[in-house]
Amino acid sequence: MDNKQSTLELGQKPVGRLLWQYALPAIVAMTASSLYNIIDRAFIGQVVGAEAIAGLGITFPFMNLSGAFGAAVGVGASTCISVKLGQRDYKTAENLLGNTVTLNLVVGFAFMVVCLVFLDPILRFFGASDVTLPYAREFMQVILLGNMITHMYFGMNAVLRAAGKPRHAMYAVLFTVGMNIVLVIAFVWWLRWGIRGAALATVTSQTMALCWQTWIFSDRRELLHLKRGIYRLKADLVRNIIAIGISPFLMNVTSCIIVIFMNNQFVRYGGDMAVGAYSIANSMVMVFFMFVMGVCQGMQPIVGYNYGAEKYDRMLRCLWLAIGVATAILMVGWALAMLFPHEIARIFTTDPQLLDLSARGIRLDMLVFPIIATQAVITNFFQCIGKVKISIFLSLSRQLIMLLPLAYLLPLWWQLDGVWYSMPVSDFGSFAMTWPLLLWYLRKFKGYVQSSYHY
Amino acid sequence: MYSRHIIINIGRQLGSGGHDIGRMLALDFGAKYYDRELLNLAAKESGLSAHVFEQHDERKGFLRSLLHLQAGMSSANYARQGFSQDSLFQFQSEAIRKAASEGSCVFVGRCADYVLRDHQNIVNIFVTASMEFRISQVMARQPFATLQEARHFIEQNESKRADYYHYYTGKKWGHASSYDLCIDSSVLGLKDTEKFIAEFIRKRFKL
Repeated sequence: MDNKQSTLELGQKPVGRLLWQYALPAIVAMTASSLYNIIDRAFIGQVVGAEAIAGLGITFPFMNLSGAFGAAVGVGASTCISVKLGQRDYKTAENLLGNTVTLNLVVGFAFMVVCLVFLDPILRFFGASDVTLPYAREFMQVILLGNMITHMYFGMNAVLRAAGKPRHAMYAVLFTVGMNIVLVIAFVWWLRWGIRGAALATVTSQTMALCWQTWIFSDRRELLHLKRGIYRLKADLVRNIIAIGISPFLMNVTSCIIVIFMNNQFVRYGGDMAVGAYSIANSMVMVFFMFVMGVCQGMQPIVGYNYGAEKYDRMLRCLWLAIGVATAILMVGWALAMLFPHEIARIFTTDPQLLDLSARGIRLDMLVFPIIATQAVITNFFQCIGKVKISIFLSLSRQLIMLLPLAYLLPLWWQLDGVWYSMPVSDFGSFAMTWPLLLWYLRKFKGYVQSSYHY
Repeated sequence: MYSRHIIINIGRQLGSGGHDIGRMLALDFGAKYYDRELLNLAAKESGLSAHVFEQHDERKGFLRSLLHLQAGMSSANYARQGFSQDSLFQFQSEAIRKAASEGSCVFVGRCADYVLRDHQNIVNIFVTASMEFRISQVMARQPFATLQEARHFIEQNESKRADYYHYYTGKKWGHASSYDLCIDSSVLGLKDTEKFIAEFIRKRFKL
């Protein structure tokens, strides 16, 4: 049994090799999707202008929110499906597949209608000004019209992974990113369709990927395929999907709230250009942070299994290795940000005012960047070993508990700079909270390891 | 008789005496009895410690469902999950199937009725009992200070058991339609209930 073999390997193969093997696909996929954001923003910033990139920054939490609904269904369904496939309960698995399709359509449609009707007030609430609103509106109209497709695409991808085709899922992501680049060049650069062109590129590339996914799932030889009679929603299945989907949903909503709040603070203290600068700095942060998330995902099965198998030395080795690798990656990002902030900002804009603001922003935002690595890895570590409460507390500590109050308070003294300061300060604060927790936990743990050696 | 070995699954309310009945049935039919032993088998299969299986045994509460954060932190989780409650269940199911393919068995709990649903010679039984009976059974095993405490213990653990069953099988735990025979053990007492069930099983398999 191949599945079982790969599980047993988690307790035997060298930790470094395992981490490489598990982290690589995650890193590729996550970095690809953050690159995709960068390229979108770069083209819009260069071709359409500085105000457009600010408008795009305003829509970011919107995309997050839509993603939250998509993730709720996608993650919930894929988890349920993989359980059922493990039990060779193909009938229920197919039913789940059909229900996923229906749920995505229903949720996607409802989200689209509600948001299109209230688009302007929502964007205002997200921090849009008279200048940025038209850009944000143009972009979101297209994105929202394609919302059902986006949801379906993400949902299908999650199901592909559950159905034992993680490679296909990765190809779909890479294809969408690649296609999007080609289309953005065509729509925004050649045809000069403006910000709407970028949105259209996104939706079109997702549509193409969805067609391919549908084609895979239409194959009758597949154990899990689309057929008649599986689409009617069943209360039981929907409840299970949502019960699991609720936590990724809340994670996404949290990050959405944070970006909304930050955008509003930037508008208040620095105007539209500051939002644009934040959006630029954030893309830079995201590219490197996605690497770290990839490492975290790669370490999950390894740490989890070895904890369960009571091979604590392997578990700890994996933890230290992950911290080391993640920190090294962020050091590279940090060095780039400190040495070449202007060059980085130049990727996104030619506007001299926005350039200066972004360069300063990148430096301040990423001032203590490398220490986030430990924070992220350790948070993830607690999650792997089932200490869910600690893990939730830690992941909220950086974003909600520290960042929001700081971003409110610091500008009262330092205005715009204060908003920027809030990020490194909260990074440092949560870092300072994470280490003692880990060390305290490991000390308790060391005794446990030794006592198990005694007999 | 190789392919004619029989599988008896017993679902039970907490304190209804399902264990004892299961043990007696195993003796009667020359079957192997599996209860907590399954956890050890599953642990051996997976290389994981038996502690982990015990921690997650027939439990699925709200906090546990937050464990799915693991799967859900990001919608793009590419690493295969080596360790989650779902994979523990998977290992346990493998252990159940393996045991069932080797000879006659009595399984108590652990969703064995669902795991072995495609097996031919299978009989599913659910044992209930009155609350008073169950409280007295539980108090004989564990020293509870008050009746109230014992009742609380039963109710709490049973709801976890029901959630667990529902999550993995999609069926309602203790619902009559899922079983071939549902019986209240406090009416006849454990011994006579067991005899009654044994009679039912003999008729079922024409032994």
